Amino acid sequence: MAPTRARVTRRQMLRAGAGALFIPFTLKSGRAPAQGGKKPFEGVTLNISCWSATYPKLIADYLPEFTETTGIKVNYDTPGFPVYNQRADLELSTKGSGFDVLNVTFIYTSRWIGAGWLTPLDSYIKDPNKTPADWDYADFLAGSVQPMKDKVGAVYGIPWISDVLMAASSRFDIFKANGLGMPDTFDELDKAMQLVNKKEGVAGFSIENHWGWVFIPFLQGFGGNVFRNPPDDLMPALDSPEVAEAAEFFAKLINSYGPEAASGYTYDQVTEALRAGRVNYSPHNHAFCALMGEDGSKVIKTSNFAMLPKGPKGRFPGVASHGWGIPVGAKNKDASWEFIKWSMSKDLVSRLTQRHGLGSVTRKSLIHSEAYKQRMVINGVDTGKIFLDSIAMSEQGYMKYRTVHVYPQANAQINQAVSRVVSGQMKAKESFALAQANAIADLKRAGVRF
Amino acid sequence: MPAKRLGWIAHRQRSFLAGMAPALVVLALITIAPAIYLVLTSLTPLNLTLPGSAWDFSSPAGNYIDLFEDPRFSRSVWVQVKLSVATVILQLLVGLGVALLLNGGTRIRELARSGFLIPMVLPPIVVGILWRVMYAVDISPFHRFMAFIGLPVPSLITDPNWALFAIVIAETWEWFPFTMLMVLAALQMIPASPLEAARIDGANNLQIFRYVMFPYIQQTLVVAAIFRLIDSIKAFPLIFVLTDGGPGDVTEVTNYYAYRQAFTFSLWGYGSAIATLMVVGIFVLSWVIDRLTGAAYAEAD
Amino acid sequence: MQKQIDPQPVVARPSSNPVSRYWFQRNRRWLGDVGTIALLLLVLFPFAWLVQMSFRPNRDILGYELLFTPTLAHYKALWTGAFPASFVNSMITSICSTVLALLLGVPAAYALSRGGFKSSRRIALWILATRMAPPIAFTIPFFLAYRYLGLSDTLLGLIIVYLTFNLALVIWMMQPFFDGVPRELEEAAWIDGCSVWEAFRRVTLPLSAPGLAATAVICFILSWNDFFYALVLTRTNASTAPVAIVNFIQYTGWEWGRIAAAGTLVMLPVVVFSVLVRNYLVRGLAAGGVKE
Repeated sequence: MAPTRARVTRRQMLRAGAGALFIPFTLKSGRAPAQGGKKPFEGVTLNISCWSATYPKLIADYLPEFTETTGIKVNYDTPGFPVYNQRADLELSTKGSGFDVLNVTFIYTSRWIGAGWLTPLDSYIKDPNKTPADWDYADFLAGSVQPMKDKVGAVYGIPWISDVLMAASSRFDIFKANGLGMPDTFDELDKAMQLVNKKEGVAGFSIENHWGWVFIPFLQGFGGNVFRNPPDDLMPALDSPEVAEAAEFFAKLINSYGPEAASGYTYDQVTEALRAGRVNYSPHNHAFCALMGEDGSKVIKTSNFAMLPKGPKGRFPGVASHGWGIPVGAKNKDASWEFIKWSMSKDLVSRLTQRHGLGSVTRKSLIHSEAYKQRMVINGVDTGKIFLDSIAMSEQGYMKYRTVHVYPQANAQINQAVSRVVSGQMKAKESFALAQANAIADLKRAGVRF
Repeated sequence: MPAKRLGWIAHRQRSFLAGMAPALVVLALITIAPAIYLVLTSLTPLNLTLPGSAWDFSSPAGNYIDLFEDPRFSRSVWVQVKLSVATVILQLLVGLGVALLLNGGTRIRELARSGFLIPMVLPPIVVGILWRVMYAVDISPFHRFMAFIGLPVPSLITDPNWALFAIVIAETWEWFPFTMLMVLAALQMIPASPLEAARIDGANNLQIFRYVMFPYIQQTLVVAAIFRLIDSIKAFPLIFVLTDGGPGDVTEVTNYYAYRQAFTFSLWGYGSAIATLMVVGIFVLSWVIDRLTGAAYAEAD
Repeated sequence: MQKQIDPQPVVARPSSNPVSRYWFQRNRRWLGDVGTIALLLLVLFPFAWLVQMSFRPNRDILGYELLFTPTLAHYKALWTGAFPASFVNSMITSICSTVLALLLGVPAAYALSRGGFKSSRRIALWILATRMAPPIAFTIPFFLAYRYLGLSDTLLGLIIVYLTFNLALVIWMMQPFFDGVPRELEEAAWIDGCSVWEAFRRVTLPLSAPGLAATAVICFILSWNDFFYALVLTRTNASTAPVAIVNFIQYTGWEWGRIAAAGTLVMLPVVVFSVLVRNYLVRGLAAGGVKE
């Protein structure tokens, strides 16, 4: 026996094994130091995520250009809206460095900015070395930037879209054949749907199932509100009779005039259904409606658009902005800012509108340019004008409920309440009474004092 | 001589302790420490948007009082009960049935056994995707077949009355091989003589099963049921992929509710309280079952 | 410890139709086989459907026809995204976690088997308890702890978390194997002058090699299949394959091919391994309930 020799080899094996186990920890750091060379950010990799709207999906194809000019590699992913929000919220709450640039979702702006999870961007904007003057920060719509600011006016996000809810019809010829125009009130909508539903095999009504976004114009149109008086009085107001009335009307639209499994349609599915002419009328985001005029759409010649119809108490088209922000824990904020500059540059955005019909942009110079205006005219209807008119309406302030820091909790309750009514599980009054109770409990847990 | 032997015994005991120590230390670190932290967190209103709440013990029972009054929590427990009872019973029945079939002893059936294992070993998320395809009305072959023969079936996972049932089916499909394997092993341990005797006496298959086989596999069924029961409380990927707790919260089991509370709005204190209650509940459940089955056997003897 | 069973006396009852009964009796064997195969096909149908979807060309992905020209386009498309990285992550975490669990757990199992400690039963109960606790009871404290330790979104973080089930499993599964090795062989080695662990290495380990292999494979499968821990504790760098698939799920219609391909790839290693260790699977999954 040679005990000494055996012990040595075993120890060596153990050490090698222990060392091998630490390799994954070192391998996956993902950050190579920037080397010298022409490109200032050579060797840097950014992790970027946004929800799967039109614009984020489009720039994915242009990322190689970005890598070419700056040397930054981008790991990019665009999950669906609810998945993205949950992941981003979770990641931001750790103040970690898992992501370098994130979408600042409209309903989370107040929550994320208020909790200090995002980096203030003023120093980057104002620094001439980091941002050339011709990038033109002042060119962004004031209304789009506003939600990205905190109480004292510091900016935390650069808006890439102002989502506007408007009405679209993919088979307006059926409307005309029945002697109808684009409905302007809820009553007209109901009557129109009764007449056009299932004509020529086309379902009458379709809407995406993010109820907390698409239901609110109906809620407000009937005279309800989400909170009693946002942003000062945060008591939820979901149990008012107006809300129940709105919910019943809304559920009727979906169940009586919608296609099979209508309540399961996501924004992607509604867009595709409109483009294929499978559904006729839809309250839908302007950016998605613009795709009805793009290649692959079968309904370019039969589309029509209008502002969202008004209810007994008024017209309240939903307006929401999303923007790029930098998490407070990001490791290479200069590189992050490079990405934001590039992705929101006049050049790139105008190319996207020209080549792909990107709508709902936030740069004033673009919105007012002839080329964009032309692009936004689909089948003779100026959707750009509808967009601007709706934004003008929103300046009355009815969107304040959405930037309250606890709105995400209320949003979740509204989603569930409407879901219960649409599926027939509960009557509207019952469902929203439950939502009200839950919302109050959730808000209390989030630290709101009533 | 005796001294050397004592020295050897001491060395032996030391060696064994040295062998056990690292594992026990690590196990303690990764199970007991987190458990303590979980309970501590459940006594605070920890919410990551309010940093001060991390060590706020001003109202330690606050979360638990909230839970007691929270209708969504009690509903989630009820959903859990429904899901667990249905899926365990179905898994036992299907597993038993397939085990009896495979007990036939032909070569084909032995080979088939490996095939039947597949649902159990698939990554649960893949099982979720499989069933998502099966339940998606426009692409599912099942739905299209039913429509083809004139009995169209509407979407199950968006229907509040059927969503839970849909999950029960998927879960049964995924886990019946577990009970099948256990029962099969027990069946193959049944001694041949009672079976022979019964057959000679002229008993038919049903009688043989009921009076000869069943007593042998009874205990296995109970053990399998306990394991499936406890695992059913952990159900997550299926619900995540198929229904996300919906429609509404019809398929929101307690585990999923805890996940939503903790991971959607960073309400760690509340989520910890739910998790703590779940752990306590599981332990109590196991203890109760253990007592009941022990008592049953004591009586039977 | 089987109870004494007294089979109750049974009475034979003649069937109403002697001819059909005779035919069923005679052909019981292959009827049962046919039934088995039919049942197997039915049970495996959803699984087979997903796999065939991964080879279907996109324009036909929702089609009926059984004869289609298979395409590898979906698999190729997967390779350009973040999926390969997540696949590698899954490999690394599963292998490292298994190795770590074995390194820690095998000596412990041996010590429990031979050591005659009085607290063995308490330790056994502790291990069973960790097996029963719902994952969320672990993820909350681990998530919060990893924030401070900087282990969020790292492979090391996942590997440590996987120990919560792997380590217990190794100890639980290996102990009976060691119990099954006759003490006399080790004692012979001890008399020859080997230390305890040398005897273990030379005598016991080779004899329990099959059990070791089976345990390793089961640990690998459980780590590979994990979804919840990876979903919560990883973000971008350390996502594993099951989590990467979730990214595809949000799209419908035109991404089904990729989802199916990703699902097929992710299930491949575990299906192969499981067939290899099918005999040990139940023991591993039951981990302690079955009284051998």
